[in-house]
Amino acid sequence: MNAAATTDTKRKPFSEWLKTLTFYELLVGMKATLTHLLNYKPITLQYPHEKRLLPDNYRGMLSLLRYDDGTEKCVGCDLCEAACPSRVIRVVSGEVPGEPTKRYSKEYYMDMTRCLFCGLCVDACPVDALAMTREFEWAVYDKRQLHLNKQQLLAIGDRAFPVREKRLELQHPNVAFFNVTFKHLPQKEN
Amino acid sequence: MEIGLRLAVSLAQIAAVMGVVMLTVMVLTLAERKVLGWMQDRMGPMEVGPYGVLQPIADGLKLFFKEDIIPAGANRFLFTLAPILALVPAMIGFAVIPFGPSMTIELFGMQVKPFVISDINIGILYILAFASIGAYGIILGGWSSNSKYSLLGGLRSAAQVISYELNVGLAIVGVILLSGSLSLVKITEAQAGGFWNWFVIAMPFPQIFAFVVYVISSVAETNRVPFDLPEAESELVAGFFTEYSGMRFAFFFIAEYANMILVSCVAAALFLGGWNAPYPGTILGHLGLDALAWIENVVWFAAKVYFFLFLFFWLRATLPRLRYDQLMRFGWKVMLPIALGNIVLTAIAAYFFPR
Repeated sequence: MNAAATTDTKRKPFSEWLKTLTFYELLVGMKATLTHLLNYKPITLQYPHEKRLLPDNYRGMLSLLRYDDGTEKCVGCDLCEAACPSRVIRVVSGEVPGEPTKRYSKEYYMDMTRCLFCGLCVDACPVDALAMTREFEWAVYDKRQLHLNKQQLLAIGDRAFPVREKRLELQHPNVAFFNVTFKHLPQKEN
Repeated sequence: MEIGLRLAVSLAQIAAVMGVVMLTVMVLTLAERKVLGWMQDRMGPMEVGPYGVLQPIADGLKLFFKEDIIPAGANRFLFTLAPILALVPAMIGFAVIPFGPSMTIELFGMQVKPFVISDINIGILYILAFASIGAYGIILGGWSSNSKYSLLGGLRSAAQVISYELNVGLAIVGVILLSGSLSLVKITEAQAGGFWNWFVIAMPFPQIFAFVVYVISSVAETNRVPFDLPEAESELVAGFFTEYSGMRFAFFFIAEYANMILVSCVAAALFLGGWNAPYPGTILGHLGLDALAWIENVVWFAAKVYFFLFLFFWLRATLPRLRYDQLMRFGWKVMLPIALGNIVLTAIAAYFFPR
């Protein structure tokens, strides 16, 4: 037994020599490639002509949303700016003229060159004013075109989400509405 | 008048052969990418024309209109000369390849062999000689580029071509011993009458070992995977043509594919019976259509050549690149002894059992 083991390590068995002589390993590999040639099933997607079906929770381009009456959802609370890890968002908050208790975002900028599409701003938003669309074809020739302002972000939201959320009746027009029902608060009769 | 006519006929023949070769190169550039893609579950080029069939034309146009860059510090004369030195020997070898039966037709009162440009009696030697000159194009291209990658590619190519030219030369000696001629036409005619007369399995001594040595060495000689060390893209950018662009690059590219076709033609002619069908005679000839029998022979020749070309792609899709010392050891310690032993055994067999 011991002697046989030592001879095995010293001398290749005959079948090994035969495999070397007949290029057995090469033939195995060539059979594999030929099998793929004969059972030709490409996994390629011809991208510009055919596109993948993206999942609903795809984290693509960011957008600002509106209510169904066309008013902006954003209340200028700056939470998205605070949540953003890459400092993409810059919000300039301001009062709604004539309504000192109501605020909105006077200016809203996103520098999409820095965005890493983590979705933390969407999570942070208390009024669901931010959303991620399924747009991803945002290659541009000029980097500055990725520096988006509020109008552009609203336009993306308009084209990506045609069905808008209803502005709730219970919201006081003078109170910044956070996306919770304030059942315990006295309601104002309109 | 007589000599002018002969010149015109020869030039027409040369033009026809060059046209067929260039067309095959075009087909090959597409076929390689397609076959490689299919073997790797991809599609290959799909954009230009239906299923990408017009891709070679797009590639050619692109290369034609590219800027021709000569790097600073390059030896301009040799840099210009190298692509031509690579291309011309690859194309010139086709002069002695018999593409079809060696019949003679009467044209303007002259005897013309339509399927071989010139049947010189040292045909195979001529091909080997010019194939060696082709290596100069690669070496000079690598050296004159004034780039370390090009130089390394050129040096590797020099060593590789020397090692494997030798094996190619020795592998075909057995065939020459059996056929008793260096002319490719005579060698092909000696294999007529069925596949059992092809030199790869013909008695008295089958040249199967020489065939294997020839195929492996010819892959190495044309710098194809798995012996593509001179242009190893993962190590040497593009090897000897790193600095080349535009039409000069296209020359090297065409030379590589023309060399592939040439070695495939030689392999088909030497070992697989050339234009002979694997059965005695031709089917069209047996049916009484002797005038059309050449079509069948040419189709058989093309089929054999394309089998070898497919083998080149197949090997490329399958095998990884050899290391440099493995390449040298394989060439000198494995291929060379097999080729030499084959010569000895064939000589003995041919002496005792003359054909």
